[in-house]
Amino acid sequence: MMELVPHIINGLTLGLLFALIALGFTLIVGVMEVINLAHGSLFALGAYFALATLGGGWFGSTEFGVWWLSLPIGMRYVFALVVGPLLAAGAGMIIELCLRPTYGKAPLYGLLLTFGAALVVEELIRLIWGTGEQSLTVPQAINGAFLMGGLIFSKYKFFAAGFALLAIGGVWFFLERTPYGAIIKAGSHDSEMVRALGYDLSKLRLLVFGFGASLAGLAGIILTPIWGLRPHVGLDVVIPAFLIIVIGGVGSFWGAVLAAVLVGLSVGITGAYAPAWSMMSMYLLLIAIVGVRSRGLLGRKSALEN
Amino acid sequence: MISLSDIPARGGSPFTPAMGLFVALLLTAPFWLEPIGLYHYLGIEIAIWILFALGFNLLFGFIGLHSFGHGAYLGVGAYAFGLFQQEVTVSLWGGLAVAILAATLAGAIVGAFVSHRRGIYFALMTIAFGQVFWFGAIKLHSITGGEDGLLGIARPDLVVGPMRLDISDNISLYWFVAVILVLAVVALWRIVNAPFGRVLQAIRQNETRAQFVGYNVWLIKWLTFTLSAAFAGLAGGLFAMAQESAYPDVMSLHQSGLIVMMVLIGGGLVSFWGPVLGVLLYFIARDIIGGITETWLLWFGLMFVIMVMVRPEGVAGLIHVLRQKFAQTQQKTVAPASNPERA
Repeated sequence: MMELVPHIINGLTLGLLFALIALGFTLIVGVMEVINLAHGSLFALGAYFALATLGGGWFGSTEFGVWWLSLPIGMRYVFALVVGPLLAAGAGMIIELCLRPTYGKAPLYGLLLTFGAALVVEELIRLIWGTGEQSLTVPQAINGAFLMGGLIFSKYKFFAAGFALLAIGGVWFFLERTPYGAIIKAGSHDSEMVRALGYDLSKLRLLVFGFGASLAGLAGIILTPIWGLRPHVGLDVVIPAFLIIVIGGVGSFWGAVLAAVLVGLSVGITGAYAPAWSMMSMYLLLIAIVGVRSRGLLGRKSALEN
Repeated sequence: MISLSDIPARGGSPFTPAMGLFVALLLTAPFWLEPIGLYHYLGIEIAIWILFALGFNLLFGFIGLHSFGHGAYLGVGAYAFGLFQQEVTVSLWGGLAVAILAATLAGAIVGAFVSHRRGIYFALMTIAFGQVFWFGAIKLHSITGGEDGLLGIARPDLVVGPMRLDISDNISLYWFVAVILVLAVVALWRIVNAPFGRVLQAIRQNETRAQFVGYNVWLIKWLTFTLSAAFAGLAGGLFAMAQESAYPDVMSLHQSGLIVMMVLIGGGLVSFWGPVLGVLLYFIARDIIGGITETWLLWFGLMFVIMVMVRPEGVAGLIHVLRQKFAQTQQKTVAPASNPERA
């Protein structure tokens, strides 16, 4: 049993990271009932924007660029953590504007449009940043490894997991304890009533999509040092997010978090016995859970079923 | 928005003008493909994907089950064909039969799991199963050859009665694939215009009503899923022959998504022939835009996004609307006063 402990810890951190990825996805699904297949591309886009910010790629070798590179990396990293998600949010808002003709039609069209958008974003990334593998440097303070109970753990993984916890808490606070969150939730519950109360629903949707996209971008920046950055990283990322939403139940915040931890644990523990098959375990988990509970763990009825 | 049943499908004889045009294009292709700067292998590829797309549209367009993991059955067919050649015996009909059987079996099993799911949950479950097959193909090294796949699959001789024909070059393989495609298209046409096809459309439009009329909706969904997988398996067997290999890439979500794009962009939701247009458009985009710029997928993706925004019925829907407009203006010029409220 003791030898399983590191795998369980790994699984838990992985689960938190999955939850971070799924956070923006579940927000958009829950509020707008759009399956955003471009989520993974926004994830990649956020990371690439951060890369360009961190490396000073925006400014080239101008005087400002040189000054920028002379700044300490910690400062640039924090700045990239802000700029990356903001730019990803901008890209997300463009996608939302394109999505508008599909509202009121079958959910399939939203899904298809975002699939097309994902292709476009991926190709744009190839065009701008090339097809090769890139890496994001992180400050020394959160790099390296440490020993605990005779086992070696990566510092960065713990930083990322802690960050994920913080983000989960932040989003929960925003949705449950602020007036904005109340409007967003009301908008997903009864959009006509919210409009009748004088809120601009289309602006609300734009903002929610932008918020979801910025969460995707943030997840991208946090996870890239662990998983690497390739133009098609989006597809590798959107699938776990997808599975987690379905296992947790579409539109359920805690369902998604719970499902993410479950998926992380199952991947981690399978990894202990059959490393080659560890990623397969999440699909089997999905089939097992959704086979029994068709709406996932904490799901409620949604328009997406029609 | 128009849908499949707004376009009257003439039941009965499959010998419609569209079918005539399709068969004529298919059977003359070897003579004009090279003069217009294309190559015979492209013809084979297009014919196989048309077969796959038409079978897929049974599920996607007709009964309205939006599968996003259909590449898996193409892959299963391809692997089954390859394994049969390498492990049992080199035989064309045997290989194709095994390809169809294997894909049918896989479709029947998965169909039993997913057929009572609805809407987006169905799509998600098909993605999950598709990924399981894809993952299995990559990881079961000893059987499937891992990421490289099965290499060196033979193109067996065509044996019909006492005749034995060599179809290992691209032109004769094209003829073989074209004949299979024509047979499959006629079969599919018969299926969708038979009462069974009407039931499929009834289920898409209103599942509850179809149930109350007395149809076993679950069974019909399951049958359609299995049937559609069988066509994918046939396409997969031919694909293994064309590529002389079978590899996991065709089972990936990317490929399964592409087939959905092709069917939708062509107008599979509104017309039997939609998938054909979609496949043509995709391969034309790949070969012609791809010849000009390496980022052709960017332009294809943009085209697709714009299509979903402004005309989700696809090319076939566009043709339908244009024809209606044309017919209306003609009617106006012939008899302007006889039916004033029509204008």
